[in-house]
Amino acid sequence: MTRSAFQRSQRREGFALIAPLTGFLLVLLGFPLLLDLVYSISKVGFETIRAPEITGLGNYAKALADREFWSAAWFSLRFGLLVSGIELTVGLALAIFLEPLLAKRPWLMAFLMLPMMVAPALVGLMYRLILHEFVGVAPYYLSLWFGDSPAFFSNDNAFKTLVAVESLQWTPFALLILHAAHSAIPLEVREAAALDGAGEWKRLAYVDLPLMGPAIAVTFFIRFIDSFRVFDNVYTLVGAGAGGATTSMSIYIYQAFFKVGDIGLAVAASMLLLAGSFVVLYALNWAARR
Amino acid sequence: MSRRLVDGLRWAVFILSVLAMNFPVISTFVTSLKSEAEISASPSLWVERPTWENYRAIFAMQDRFDILHFLANSLIESLLGSVFAIGLAFPAAYAMARNGVGRKWLAPLVVNLRAVPLIIFAIPIYLMYQRLQLLDTRLGLALILCVVNVPLALVLFLTAIAELPLEIEDAARVDGATTLRLLVHVVAPMSLNIVAAASVLAFIYSWNEFLFGLMLTTSRATPVSVGASFFFAASGGGVRWGVAAAVMILATLPPLLLGLFAYRLIGKSMTAGAVKG
Repeated sequence: MTRSAFQRSQRREGFALIAPLTGFLLVLLGFPLLLDLVYSISKVGFETIRAPEITGLGNYAKALADREFWSAAWFSLRFGLLVSGIELTVGLALAIFLEPLLAKRPWLMAFLMLPMMVAPALVGLMYRLILHEFVGVAPYYLSLWFGDSPAFFSNDNAFKTLVAVESLQWTPFALLILHAAHSAIPLEVREAAALDGAGEWKRLAYVDLPLMGPAIAVTFFIRFIDSFRVFDNVYTLVGAGAGGATTSMSIYIYQAFFKVGDIGLAVAASMLLLAGSFVVLYALNWAARR
Repeated sequence: MSRRLVDGLRWAVFILSVLAMNFPVISTFVTSLKSEAEISASPSLWVERPTWENYRAIFAMQDRFDILHFLANSLIESLLGSVFAIGLAFPAAYAMARNGVGRKWLAPLVVNLRAVPLIIFAIPIYLMYQRLQLLDTRLGLALILCVVNVPLALVLFLTAIAELPLEIEDAARVDGATTLRLLVHVVAPMSLNIVAAASVLAFIYSWNEFLFGLMLTTSRATPVSVGASFFFAASGGGVRWGVAAAVMILATLPPLLLGLFAYRLIGKSMTAGAVKG
């Protein structure tokens, strides 16, 4: 076999190996995306689902004019930024402070990782019990110690409650990634810094943190993306309660489709969300290249 | 500060963090051991008379709330979803790493998929499933779980396969092995560790998935993450909190135990997935 013939057969074989995955994704994501596009510029209802009438950008205009759409976008953005900021800060602090313990006894990490093994939907349900006015542990101890317990799901507090619930469950992710990044710093680098007379704080600021920079950025992006699209725990804990104060982008789309039955609006909002995630992705790739 | 004092402080912070972050599970477990009378008398974390009564009660109400059905659904769907994802991603990753096919377009596409909220596809998938009669079927949900797991599996396999020594594969080729045989008998056995890591993580993610379970199933194929919330509806006006707590614990136990025993594997693949992604 000549070299080029071999290369050709290699390529053919390669295409055969990626064909199943490609086909699968085309059917389960490509085709739906196409439907999304078509429906978002059509007048469509459950009766006319097979014959959408293309009308233009009306659905987009409707979404963009909807106050609830903007309040959902604002909720998701605020929630995503705040939650990932908290998780990053606390996770970083824990990763550095607990380093000596975790280096000597790696199995301790198992207990810090456990929260990530629980379904966020179930965590939401669990907090429904924990924060319950009459049978909840949290109100019980708060009133015992401070004589009063806040209304966790009032208009003002629902957001904070959700931030706390989400942060407590996913700080372990930041801790895990940053711990790995911290222990990957070569010993020689630290020793060199120590030889140069750098104290612990100085070493942290000028050696450790800069070296962990990429890991810190990646952690923040992953957590931001995940918390921006939050659905499960919000849905099981408060639904869209608190007067719509807890409607995230995902919940908005879900409700537009299942509660209101407005397919056009729901898919237009989906496409806008997709555009938004492209912006984030672009920023991520830009940051990764630097 | 003295060394011992700092060490003590580290332990204190560690224990406090573990308790705070695992508080939902701890507190729910405590409640699940209490009788209804004790729950309404005092919600404290102390159990006066521990009992398994709530767990027994779940199985006594199978006509209204069949937890074994939900658990079986979750088990089958998660297994299928993980196996599909690995079966699709592994050969693709091999072709990308060795034949250089699809590395430029398919790999970035799939990897970046992790940053796209999947709810974007949820509505057309719902409509598609309606026509294909895949709504409320185990296969239907398993296919979506596969979509959820494919990006991570691909990232893990890509790096793992690229690190395998070429010599062994070359030797097998000289002996006349076809690529398929090579994949099954040479490459896969050498990658068992990473396949195991991807499987465990995929299983846990699948088990914990909620959004598509909620949208695409109604009863026959409902996974336990969604089914557990049905309990609140099934019990009508007065929620039996002790039984509800027991339901949540049972629904959480499989991924929790898996996480406890395979934490090393999970930690490695989570870190690798984040760094390479």
